[in-house]
Amino acid sequence: MKNKQVTVMRIALSFLLVAGFAVQAVAGETYKMGLSLAITGPTSDVGSPYAKGAEDYVKYVNDEKLLGDDKLVCFIRDDGYKTEITKRNFEDFLDEEIVFYLNYSTGSTMALRQDFQEEQIPVLPASFHAGNLEGNDYIFLPIASYSSQAVGLAEYVAANHKGSGKPKVALFLHPSAFGRAPRDDVKKSVAAGLGIDLVEIVEHGKDLDNTAMLKRFQSKGVQYVISQTVQPPVATMLKGAQSLDMIAKTYGEAGKITFLGCHYGGGPALVSLAGSAADENYYWTTSYKMMTAKGPGRDAQFALAKRYGRDDKLAKDANYTNGIMVAQVAVETIRRAKAKGKKITRAVLYEELLAMNGFNAYNTLTTVGPVTFSKTDREGVDTLQLYVSKGGLFYEVGAPFESEYVKKIKQ
Amino acid sequence: MSYFLQLVVSGVVVGSIYALSALGFVLIYKSSRVLNIAHGQIIATGAFITYALTVFAGIPIVLAFLLSMVITFCLAMSVERIFLRRLIGEPIISVIMVTIGLMSIIDGLIYLTPFGSENFSFPEFLPKTPIAFWGVSMSWTQMVGVVITFTMIGGFTWFFKKSTVGISMRAVSDDQFASMSVGISVPKVFGLAWATAGLTAAAAGGIIGNITGLNFDVLHSFGIIVFPVVIVGGLDSILGAIVAGIIMGLIQQFASGYLDGKWGLFGTADVLPYIILLIILLFKPHGLFGIHEIERV
Repeated sequence: MKNKQVTVMRIALSFLLVAGFAVQAVAGETYKMGLSLAITGPTSDVGSPYAKGAEDYVKYVNDEKLLGDDKLVCFIRDDGYKTEITKRNFEDFLDEEIVFYLNYSTGSTMALRQDFQEEQIPVLPASFHAGNLEGNDYIFLPIASYSSQAVGLAEYVAANHKGSGKPKVALFLHPSAFGRAPRDDVKKSVAAGLGIDLVEIVEHGKDLDNTAMLKRFQSKGVQYVISQTVQPPVATMLKGAQSLDMIAKTYGEAGKITFLGCHYGGGPALVSLAGSAADENYYWTTSYKMMTAKGPGRDAQFALAKRYGRDDKLAKDANYTNGIMVAQVAVETIRRAKAKGKKITRAVLYEELLAMNGFNAYNTLTTVGPVTFSKTDREGVDTLQLYVSKGGLFYEVGAPFESEYVKKIKQ
Repeated sequence: MSYFLQLVVSGVVVGSIYALSALGFVLIYKSSRVLNIAHGQIIATGAFITYALTVFAGIPIVLAFLLSMVITFCLAMSVERIFLRRLIGEPIISVIMVTIGLMSIIDGLIYLTPFGSENFSFPEFLPKTPIAFWGVSMSWTQMVGVVITFTMIGGFTWFFKKSTVGISMRAVSDDQFASMSVGISVPKVFGLAWATAGLTAAAAGGIIGNITGLNFDVLHSFGIIVFPVVIVGGLDSILGAIVAGIIMGLIQQFASGYLDGKWGLFGTADVLPYIILLIILLFKPHGLFGIHEIERV
């Protein structure tokens, strides 16, 4: 009798064990990635929509089972734009055994690049500084670098200047590694024959008024100002230029200044801040598609925002797109590795990223060109799109382009 | 010549806004000897209240601006009543630490709202065409800002010199025990000092918000940016805040206009105020107009 009871118990226990493993198999694997960024503090106007973009896309992936029965967890933590907190967050994420990491600022990306190298973890930052790629192998820029953006804008100025002689250009830069990122490449491009006269390079402060700077520009005949900074100083400069009646009403208008900006120095959030000073004739470049560009990318982004209860302002924000896009690349990398039957590890995802080129390039729909990475190219989307503001919205100008001089100076 | 004049006009505009922002520090310090580290956060709160009243509640912007001053007046008074009144008589460092805590609390509360991480701009209600004279340009926003600033500064100068309440506040600042002995309510004076500082902060926030747009990081940083103005002018002097504000505005414009771009110099407008601050404090440790108290034992 006792033996019979033991046998029944053994069978029941075996059944429970088998059932347990079966349930685990059905539930699938869980992959973890981390995102540390400024949801509060300086640049939180960028970090907050960025975080929401990544969060919504990860929810969508899980809800729609884009990774089959496997689940993706994205830890999102605020670092208040402080590198020491970013490092702590990153270390906490490592304890959670993340396989992919999304970083944010130029400063923290530069500071942690040795950590990324040691951990051998693929990293996509929100910073597009080409210098991030130096001295390590694991950082990948999602889109064209700040250098490509600034030089690309300068090329547009050189090609479309209406007056005689070389167009006089000033650079308006953030006083940090982020702002200075394209400075030397613009100078090198000019030395290599780019047809602009680089009159001044200004690193701004926390100014309430830019009258002196703008008047100085005017006295030196500056007709174009290219900004590589965040939106608030650009807004203050534009409002100042408006009060001095200096903003060109048409591109290159003689005696006035045409303002242009790189990714973080423009977009819908700039119009929200600067109002009428930015809602007409502000030129801006990025690799992201704008919500004014009709197509499947726009429709999908609106649908995603609506699905997760986001408002219209967020749905149109370029940094919401930015957050979606980096999560898309991470998910696509995992999906490709899974499709090959590989176990998802940092090393496997790194190899998958490096193989994302040629026929394997990834078309995200949220960018103006495909994401391509290889051992010699860790700048994702190579193409840029020029936009101009009209009635407060940004519209495409011409076709997507690549900076010719950045290629030249890097040869 | 018009370049010089333009720099003077812009310097006075910027300087008067600095003076208005600095006034909040002075009002509190003048009556309670407390340095309110959270002043930048109150400036931002005032600006956001004006925006919310205008855009979300549909109240005309001028009325919203006045209402926000009233609301911030009441909020600042409540802050004093809840957090600071218990600290009367405690070491000054404890009170300053409380204002640092207050700064974090207000930061946290604002980050819970869209104002913490989104950009906004006030609806435009003034003409876009700049005012031009003698080759000099200024926007209507700047003009209105200067008028509001000087009206408020004039009003407060009169208030402290002529009104009974203002004189009571000065008396409390001079000697709390002597003031109490003649029947002045020190706690009420402290409350009123905080409230009036809140009122000026809302005015400053409204003006700065119109010039820069509404970004929390930009707005609250004005609490730090005007610090040299407060110190140079003298922590307890309204006249000092005005003079130092305008001096700083002019120095910044001239530095940016005449030094930047030459000899490889840039960003002098950010550095020079602090150099001037150090030089002035070397010769006048209480600021240009600060009261130098002599204690006899």
